[in-house]
Amino acid sequence: MSSRSGLGGFVGTSVKRVEDQRLLTGRGTYLADVRVEGCLDAAFLRSPYPHAEIASIDVAAACALSGVHAVFTGADIERLTNPFLPFSMMTNLYTPLHYALSKDRVRMVGDPVAIVVAESRYIAEDALDLIEVDYEELPPVGTIATALDPTSTPLWKRAGGNVLYDDNAEHGDVDEVFTRADHVFTETFSCPRQSNQPMETRGTLVEVDAGTGELTVHSATQSSHMLRWLLAAYTERRSVLDSAKSFARNKQRRAGLLAGARSFLSESADDLKKQDNSGMFAQVRKEPSTLPHMFRTALGVAGKERFPTVVAKDIGGGFGAKGAVAREDVALAAAAIELGRSVRWVEDRVENLLDGGHAREEEMTLSMAVDDDGTIRGLKVDVVLDQGAYPSTPVAGAMIMQMMRVMWPGSYRMEAFAQRSRIVATNKGKYVAYRGPWANETWTRERMVNVVARRLGMSQAEIRLKNIMGAEDFPTAMVTGPTVDETMSTRKTLERALELADLDSFERAKADAAAEGRYLGVGIANYPEAAPGPPNYWDSLSPGSGVFLRQTARATVARDGSVEVRTPQMPHGQSHETTYAQIAADELGVGIEDVTVVYGDTSRTPFDLLGTGGSRGGPVGGGAVRKAGRSLRGEILDAAADLLEASVDDLEIKNGSVHVSGVPARGVALADVAASVVGDDAAADSLAFDVSESYTSAGDGGWSTATHVCWVDVDLDTGQVTIPRYLVVEDCGPVINPAIVDGQVRGGVAQGVGAVLFERVAYDDDGGMRSTTYLDYEMPTSMEVPDIEIEHLETLSPGENDFRGVGEGGMIGAPAAITNAIEDALSEFDVTVREQYLPPSRILELAGVITPD
Amino acid sequence: MTADGTEGGRGESIDTSAGPRVGIPITCTINRTPIEAVVESRRTLADFIRDELGLTGTHLGCEHGVCGACTIVLDGRAVRSCLMLAAQADRTEIPTIEGLADGDELHPIQQAMHDTHGFQCAFCAPGFLMTAVALLETNPSPTTEEIRREMSGNLCRCTGYRTILDGVERAVGLMADGMKEEGDE
Amino acid sequence: MKNPEFDYRRPETVTDALDLLAEHGDEAKVLAGGQSLLPLMGLRLATPAVVIDIGRLPGLDRIEVADDGSVSIGAGVTHVAAEENDDVARHAPLVHQAMPFIGHTAIRNRGTVCGSIAHADPAAELPAVMLAIDAIVLAASTSGEREIRAADFFRGYLDTALRDDEMVLGVRLPPWPSTRGWSFLVVGRRHADFAIVGLAATLDVVDGWIAAAALAFSGIAGTPQRIDDAESLLVGRAPDDASVAAAAEIVRDAVRPSADIHATASYRTHLAGVLTRRALAAATNVIGVAT
Repeated sequence: MSSRSGLGGFVGTSVKRVEDQRLLTGRGTYLADVRVEGCLDAAFLRSPYPHAEIASIDVAAACALSGVHAVFTGADIERLTNPFLPFSMMTNLYTPLHYALSKDRVRMVGDPVAIVVAESRYIAEDALDLIEVDYEELPPVGTIATALDPTSTPLWKRAGGNVLYDDNAEHGDVDEVFTRADHVFTETFSCPRQSNQPMETRGTLVEVDAGTGELTVHSATQSSHMLRWLLAAYTERRSVLDSAKSFARNKQRRAGLLAGARSFLSESADDLKKQDNSGMFAQVRKEPSTLPHMFRTALGVAGKERFPTVVAKDIGGGFGAKGAVAREDVALAAAAIELGRSVRWVEDRVENLLDGGHAREEEMTLSMAVDDDGTIRGLKVDVVLDQGAYPSTPVAGAMIMQMMRVMWPGSYRMEAFAQRSRIVATNKGKYVAYRGPWANETWTRERMVNVVARRLGMSQAEIRLKNIMGAEDFPTAMVTGPTVDETMSTRKTLERALELADLDSFERAKADAAAEGRYLGVGIANYPEAAPGPPNYWDSLSPGSGVFLRQTARATVARDGSVEVRTPQMPHGQSHETTYAQIAADELGVGIEDVTVVYGDTSRTPFDLLGTGGSRGGPVGGGAVRKAGRSLRGEILDAAADLLEASVDDLEIKNGSVHVSGVPARGVALADVAASVVGDDAAADSLAFDVSESYTSAGDGGWSTATHVCWVDVDLDTGQVTIPRYLVVEDCGPVINPAIVDGQVRGGVAQGVGAVLFERVAYDDDGGMRSTTYLDYEMPTSMEVPDIEIEHLETLSPGENDFRGVGEGGMIGAPAAITNAIEDALSEFDVTVREQYLPPSRILELAGVITPD
Repeated sequence: MTADGTEGGRGESIDTSAGPRVGIPITCTINRTPIEAVVESRRTLADFIRDELGLTGTHLGCEHGVCGACTIVLDGRAVRSCLMLAAQADRTEIPTIEGLADGDELHPIQQAMHDTHGFQCAFCAPGFLMTAVALLETNPSPTTEEIRREMSGNLCRCTGYRTILDGVERAVGLMADGMKEEGDE
Repeated sequence: MKNPEFDYRRPETVTDALDLLAEHGDEAKVLAGGQSLLPLMGLRLATPAVVIDIGRLPGLDRIEVADDGSVSIGAGVTHVAAEENDDVARHAPLVHQAMPFIGHTAIRNRGTVCGSIAHADPAAELPAVMLAIDAIVLAASTSGEREIRAADFFRGYLDTALRDDEMVLGVRLPPWPSTRGWSFLVVGRRHADFAIVGLAATLDVVDGWIAAAALAFSGIAGTPQRIDDAESLLVGRAPDDASVAAAAEIVRDAVRPSADIHATASYRTHLAGVLTRRALAAATNVIGVAT
């Protein structure tokens, strides 16, 4: 296959990480390691109450403290910044406008109400103790049930209650299917709050050039370009008129913006045409101030003379939490601009546990229509998502709910699907994307399949084999819209997993163990992941969102022959510097060490809204790197053909030199080709070749799939669950670097183990927060994470680039496999597992050993 | 508002000596370099190492002793540098992550972690590496189970630990080989 | 999460340390290993004006065995020093067995035995162990030294019988009879976590009959707690399954734990029974192994 000609060499092998030389020797530059002369430290005063009016705030004593430079309150911030505006506006969604700091009302424990800027973080924290705030407590909304109660105190006056979104969707003839099916089984499932908890907390340093006032923003962010634009937008408070004047005056800027807009519009015309604007009108009807704020913000950006440069270097994990542009970032930038001083905020762990990102708190009722023979006919879902107090920017609950809606049927044939989706506001931390943010569809679907199997007297393997799509079905489509082709290979992963699992001999072991009073169980879970998904997957979420399938890469060769690949991806553990070097090195016939991957610096990387997120690093970012590398190769060969007086078709690049195929002696080094273009006298870093390619994965890629099988051993004396064996059979197409892919899978499964057995963001029903240290938010250690067997299948897709995403999958499958296994272990107690979080006390309650308090 | 009472403007009463209120003189050896310093009472050893010595390889993950990212070796033992005052480090010898490699030559534990793809985001790596160094100093041939248990005091959110444990096992082998070679010389 | 301001003092002698304590009283905190105090200060839950570092006071880093076989552990002795000490292993096997459960190695390398006792966390390991073996806490102030029985020392959550001007100089572990079996067991969420419930148990068996028993629990109340009724039930009985089951029953009836985010009260109650059963069986098996 000609499109795969670049494969071979480095791609497909476990090349050791380029990042390691730096990161294993303590020479990485994480946000807190950035040193800027004269930089001040910030700390935030945060509300101790879940819900209260701020009667007064007195910062005089704090300001007077030696070493304190300034204290800004919510009132200051309202004057200096724009509010956070709705990012995705969907029909029936209300997005509350809010500022970086709260002025009149606090809506969660940890709500920031003031920022102190001081000589050191020590002094800044001293000053926090001196700020006096009078709070008048309001009735808290601590649970989904309270939020759904129309008499609960609304967090947002204009929302008309605490339900911010209520939408119904139907695919197929739902009534018909549910009327005719032999059975309809219904269960309710709940998933508690989890937290991403990267080992590095959030943080930002706003560096102010004392001479020019220009801003360089160092940040632990998954999306540096998004941060750049939003900081520019939210800190621009000139009047509409001033902005317009400035826009008119600045010719160069105007031309640049218009050119950018033109190219975006032409590339995205189809997507933009599809977009539905009714959500925006609904938002504006509920919150008329949306419009003037949007207008001023947009014009402010248009007229802005100078944009901050965002620089992100090493990032200590994110798992979705660092994709959000934080309220703290905006407050910090405003403070730095106002003071004309560089200021940094390094979040501490308590802050991070309070509001660094919570996830996945959803309650779901599923009704599954099935026939006597186990054929699944349809599914109805009623899901409520607890978004907490403030919607995160840009990916808030509504977008994730659309992903859940599209993915709920999974790999099973289904004729009809219906979903009622609601989002509620509660007095809790903000809900963010967390590795496979839609994954509760997999958890509840795979749980429900097991529930149904048991009621029909089938095995969990049998019911899956009966309903799962396979070769005879393709091409087809999910009932919710997206196209399904052979990359939906879940049947293959399932069949292989069943071979490896040897469930028959397990059943014998289980019976033997039962005789000794030990309880063993096994659980299976299947899922497909849209990584990147077919183009109509994105349209199925929200028409016109296919823009996320596009990313640009720039590849250059300098006079000295050095190769750079620039990507808008923002690595934070995924090893892009290694994998992108592998891809580029294969295209260009050079070594890994000859390629430098450039990321994170908005002045050097191509624009992209999302940066890293959504398992797009391989399929979209990697596709762009391959495309740019291939174009670059073409240009190099053209130039070399002139030098060597040979036909381009006869040339190849190997070991950094271009030569006639089969005649290595007749060759010319890459550096010499480059010098022939820019001249021998040019500076070593002057660019001889410079190629940018925008890559859209439309028509390519498709699905990643996996089957997880988990074995558990449940101790009914202590309620403790151990996992003697865990198996993942996954298919993400051709693997760029097997060791790195295995690492992604294992890490995801470990987070799934945490979710089921250890981790819970613990709020009281009245919004009090109990898990504010690592003694109370417990993540698994090396003693709790099992060994994980991984087997790769490789289904090729017909596209140009068939790397498929794999970053999220481990976390998607694990909670389902583990909870299914626990239910299986407790089968003699006729238990239905309805919660995702199963601490030892809950295990014993389920088994009837103890009664709930 | 700012220190001079105006809203949002620049403050006036900046105390440029906002350093130690009571200075504690200490001497210690960090990465074989003798250090003499006067430290503020309340400053933690981690902050001293990072902010005053500029050795930012030692990371702060939780600042309450649970995550282990700030682990250093103090007089031959792994300790949490976030749970010590700099003043308590008087008359001690401390290697940090920066002191492991010899120029460009990686320490066996670093080489081993590179070989096994030990880390991903690697924010936790310095703590794991220093914990492993202390372990192998006191117990050069730990069992697989001992390694798993000793490494459980450090949290990693990326890897699921397998590759880190493999790295420690591999380092045991590399260090044993290194000893043999030294013995042969 | 940074420490509030305080004055750091590192006295050269115990006398100097006691003078400082006398001067500053409840304004002062004694710092030994700091593994409990520093997190509290970082969270600003403890805000002492003066921190008195006794970590290196001469003479406090010793472990000594008296002629009667009792073991004295000074206030400067770290967990790991006690853990690796042969005398502790030989003469105080229950303490030895409990040491590895105290957090992770890096914590034990700095934390001290006496610091853990003085901190008096009811979920911690050593307070329960000290209660089980009737250890004697040696407290000192400028007005002299006094001995406090473990049973009198632990007053409430993080609260002890120490006066504001007193510090712990050491702890004495009573002689270990050859007829004594022991067991230290915990059930925690993860390895090395504070136990949800822990049990330090001893069983003295003479001529096939239980002569004395101690069952000291962590994690079930505001202090470590012994269950006297279960202990006295055991005395005079054979160390068999029936005795063990009867003791476990009494324990379950006697404990009144509370719930927190890690476990319900009924789970703790259940665990107390399970641990009683497991610990007594284990204790019976090691009688005569030590000394």
